[in-house]
Amino acid sequence: MSKSFTVTIQRQDDPHSPKYSESFEIPYEPGLNMTTVLQRIAATPVTSDNKSSTPVAYDSCCLEEICGACTMVINGRVRQACSALIDNVLEESAGAIDVKPMSKFPVVRDLVVNRKAMFESLKRVKAWVKVDGYHDLGSGPRVSPHEQEDAYPLSKCMTCGCCVEACPQFNDKSPFIGPAAVSQAILFNANPTGKIDRDERLEVLAGPGGIADCGNSQNCVKVCPKDIPLTDSIAKAGRDTTLYKFRQFFGR
Amino acid sequence: MAHPTESVSLQDKNYFLVRRLHSLLGLVPVGAFLCVHLLTNATILAPGEAGGEFQKSIERIHALGPLLVPVEVVFIFLPLLFHSLLGFQIVFNSQSNAQQYRYGSNLRYTAQRTTGILAFLFIFYHIWQMHWFGKPVGGGAFELHGAAGAATGAMTTAVAIQQAWWIAPVYAIGVLSCVFHLANGLWTSLITWGITIRPESQRVAGYVCAAFGLVLAIAGMGALSGFRTFDVKSPPPVVTDGHADVTSHGH
Repeated sequence: MSKSFTVTIQRQDDPHSPKYSESFEIPYEPGLNMTTVLQRIAATPVTSDNKSSTPVAYDSCCLEEICGACTMVINGRVRQACSALIDNVLEESAGAIDVKPMSKFPVVRDLVVNRKAMFESLKRVKAWVKVDGYHDLGSGPRVSPHEQEDAYPLSKCMTCGCCVEACPQFNDKSPFIGPAAVSQAILFNANPTGKIDRDERLEVLAGPGGIADCGNSQNCVKVCPKDIPLTDSIAKAGRDTTLYKFRQFFGR
Repeated sequence: MAHPTESVSLQDKNYFLVRRLHSLLGLVPVGAFLCVHLLTNATILAPGEAGGEFQKSIERIHALGPLLVPVEVVFIFLPLLFHSLLGFQIVFNSQSNAQQYRYGSNLRYTAQRTTGILAFLFIFYHIWQMHWFGKPVGGGAFELHGAAGAATGAMTTAVAIQQAWWIAPVYAIGVLSCVFHLANGLWTSLITWGITIRPESQRVAGYVCAAFGLVLAIAGMGALSGFRTFDVKSPPPVVTDGHADVTSHGH
């Protein structure tokens, strides 16, 4: 007795063609994840109504929830395909799985999206430590274990897009840079070397698209696959920009 | 915001100031005024002469005399208008997904925007109905004093509330929208200004803000039921001189 389940996928052939939906019948086996399901479809791309189709395009890389490439919306919840275990997903939806690309980014093809907006946000907040150069900068300052404990959770961000996908403030009408970029600004502001660019980051956070565009729905922290304390970072950004603007107003 | 218009770029230039002013004005003076307003109205429930305590309270406010209008405009209407207009922009720039992600904080996010719109519409109606600003367009029911100094504050308010069956429910929805918007706005402002950072402190602040909202809601609903059940047929209480019977004869 072989069980099977239905996977309905929102597809799109290229950025400019219309969306359409296709269903595939997948034989059940224990221990599947969403990525293996997409591999099964690629092996025999035949729809539920027996029409020949094409393999569904999707991004994937690490297959262990480290890179964030395979992020998609599965049963209405944004997550990584690699860590979406079919046994758990089927429990949510009783025998049917609905898969869509993330809605906040332009679709390249099928489930592949272009997350450029996120990387542009990281550039805006200078989410790096300035150590480039030919000259010898010497050894970096020492970081206490306490500071490391605060920084490590923030450093786990893989720019996957879950937080901005679930964020009602991240959309075409709003300039919000999103929770990931805010959190990275806080991470690099806490770094002893990264502190050099602290005011420049706070200036961006205080500007259009910055912290004022957060609406405190707090979806970001709930959908973050890496359990990053994004709302802590957001509140810290609120505090830091408040103090920064006060200092600036009163001539530091 | 990619609009090349002058007003937007001016807003972009002072983005932080404008948005923080929006947060601050919502609390003080607008939120503070809401507290005073609802607690004052709740004095309609005070024991003793019907509407007597309420009349004393509103006469204390009207003791400002000619200063009342500038105080109203500067400390209530202008901040409220600023908060509302920017609020509408915030609502239009949001894309609610409470259906998809049914977390408590996300439902409150959507509720904050919905109650903001409801509160705006209600306050508009309320000012037209009660404030003398509304008199030229058929509103402005509230009178501090009737003919011959009769204390008519409670009476005129109650008559306006009892005019039609739907007015009290509209007030209930409107007042509760205002109260939720303030209590939840207080909670988010603590995050905005960077006072509550950790989830634990935000949770405690949530309980405090909920209790605050509950007290205001009870005061508001108490006041509403007080005016809803106020006996509009009995003669109004006398305050300054003893000629209140003149007005009741006249009608």
